Amino acid sequence: MRKLTDGSTSLKRRRFLQGAATTGAAAAAGCLGGGGGGSDRVPMDVTEWPPEDLESNLNLWNWYDSWAEYAIDAFGEEFDVDVSNTGYSSADQWYSQLQAGNDEIDNIAATTNWVERSIENDFLHELPVDVMPAWENITDRIKEASSYQQDGSTYAVPESLVLYPLTYNDEYFDSAPDSWGVLWDEEHEGDLCMWDNSTVSCQIAALYTGQDPIQPDDYDEIEEVLIQQKPLLQTYWGDYQQGMSLFVNEDVVAGPLTMGRTYTARFQEGAPVHYTAPQEGAMYTSDLFVIPKGAPNPIASLQFTNWASETENAAQLFETMGYQPAVDISDELSEEDAEFTNWPDEWNLVFSETLSDEVRSRYDEIWTAVKAA
Amino acid sequence: MTEPSRSDDGGAGSGGDPEPVTDGGSAAVDGRVSDLTAFLRERPRLRTLSIAGPPYGILVFFFAIPLLAMLVVSFQADQIGGAWTLGNYVDFLTSDTYLTVVWRTFLISVQVTAIVAAVGYALAYSIVRFSRRTTLLLLLVILPFWTSYIIRMYAWINILQSDGVLDSILNLVGLPAVGLLYTKTAVLIGFTYVWLPLAVLPFYASLTNLDGDLIEASKDLGAGPIRTFLSVTLPMTINGVITGIVLVFIPTFGSFITPRLLGGTNNVMIGMVIENQFKSAFNWPFGAAIGMVISVVVVALLLLATRFGGGLFGAGGETS
Repeated sequence: MRKLTDGSTSLKRRRFLQGAATTGAAAAAGCLGGGGGGSDRVPMDVTEWPPEDLESNLNLWNWYDSWAEYAIDAFGEEFDVDVSNTGYSSADQWYSQLQAGNDEIDNIAATTNWVERSIENDFLHELPVDVMPAWENITDRIKEASSYQQDGSTYAVPESLVLYPLTYNDEYFDSAPDSWGVLWDEEHEGDLCMWDNSTVSCQIAALYTGQDPIQPDDYDEIEEVLIQQKPLLQTYWGDYQQGMSLFVNEDVVAGPLTMGRTYTARFQEGAPVHYTAPQEGAMYTSDLFVIPKGAPNPIASLQFTNWASETENAAQLFETMGYQPAVDISDELSEEDAEFTNWPDEWNLVFSETLSDEVRSRYDEIWTAVKAA
Repeated sequence: MTEPSRSDDGGAGSGGDPEPVTDGGSAAVDGRVSDLTAFLRERPRLRTLSIAGPPYGILVFFFAIPLLAMLVVSFQADQIGGAWTLGNYVDFLTSDTYLTVVWRTFLISVQVTAIVAAVGYALAYSIVRFSRRTTLLLLLVILPFWTSYIIRMYAWINILQSDGVLDSILNLVGLPAVGLLYTKTAVLIGFTYVWLPLAVLPFYASLTNLDGDLIEASKDLGAGPIRTFLSVTLPMTINGVITGIVLVFIPTFGSFITPRLLGGTNNVMIGMVIENQFKSAFNWPFGAAIGMVISVVVVALLLLATRFGGGLFGAGGETS
């Protein structure tokens, strides 16, 4: 017993406590995350094109899975970079990583409202778009519509335009429905669907009732028409694949679906579907390439962003996924694809600006009330 | 002092290993381990802490602290870091809409739990009493766990949809198609399928420990099968039953994927509302407040059910 109080024991105790403290500190560091890791270089260091000394790896987070597969091979081969992609289904998956301190993600394809949130929270690198040759390829329409700049700095490069149209069965309808009212038409009872998304569905109801979908003035009317619509619907779809299957299986004849899923249903699944923007208008947004702070390979990511905006590679986005790239690809398309991707000038398209907290909250309350009714 | 002396330790512990040490590094490691063992042996509190500390640490870091963080966030307005408020709780508890959703969720959860308990108990009972290939049958029960939850739900979509597998089979035998997809029945089927293994395993474990002689004795004393079941089998396996019920009820109450994929327009559950607060409405404090209320409600319900169920079956056993 006495031995344990001598110097060697004190040493052991100190070692034990030191070890425990070190382990604890290491565990705490691991648990709390450090973030802010990554390269010493930042995209704005690039003042001439092409950038030199690309890193040998690139970690993408891009939800255009099929296009990402193409990009992994094509970009990787051209620039001798080992590319990987994480296909995500919900933006909060990558956003939470940025909140925790990114040290893994190099490049994200992010929707406008999430880009805005990321810029506000200083999660993104500024991009030297003036030295990027492919920046010239981005159409003015999408450059002006997207929200990715702050105080004269640019934090993203548009990747695609995402339209939320009315998708319909073109064998069931003789011509494209010209109003969202088709989703309230009792003639189609049981053959309609809506998107289980508070913002999208409430904005459709706002357009149908002649209101501003970004800042509506009569929430009660929106709730009322959505409740009226409920008995006419087969279901609210909550997953893109599920939504597309409803049309492919011809369970429904009309409802909201993305342009890309409509393209896949039509050209890859052979379903008799097409899309339109009703006269009341249709919402659209954009997806953009961003480079998050903490990216371990920021220069390779910048090179990738430029490469993805080259016409040939952007055209692949449409060919593989059916989404409208931010680049004019009309010369690359077949007549059939060109017809499908053409958005007539007379369409009333409303850019889906980020909603205020109040509107988003009211839309959420309405949608919950509608589903519970 | 009741601890063994160092000389005792020398005979039995690794530090007193009588075998010659052939590797210097290994001997040094053994020495350090021996020192640490001796150090801990003579400090019972520290020893207890070193054994119980890691699991308690996991509980604290990964359960208690996140729960506490959720509690803190639930008292903030609009967003994390917002002003302190009770508004989230007031909004939730005074809203007919949200309370209606909670009530519907409760009803669906009770129905699912009842169905799973009945089917699962019958299945476990059959495996224990009437089958020789127990291992194979249990393997079949847990087999679905090897497939992703989402994929299983999509499989059910293919089975239940109009002109799907089920309708094709019904048509084949001359019955009309039913097209169950996007109905409450589809949600109940999906839940039952997903949670059945969770219930069968504890049911099976409790039934295997049941003494068959007690059942024979009950029959010898004149009890019929139903009375024997209610007076002997069920009370003797009640712990397994309650475990199975808890394992089914809790995840059902918080589910949002199954009702979203299989349910129609009238199958909203509170888990879907909570998910929406985090992924779409971006009102994390409100989602946290709903989560806290639901956690309290579920725990209270389970405590009540456990006490009520145990007392009920206990009384049945005593009177038999």
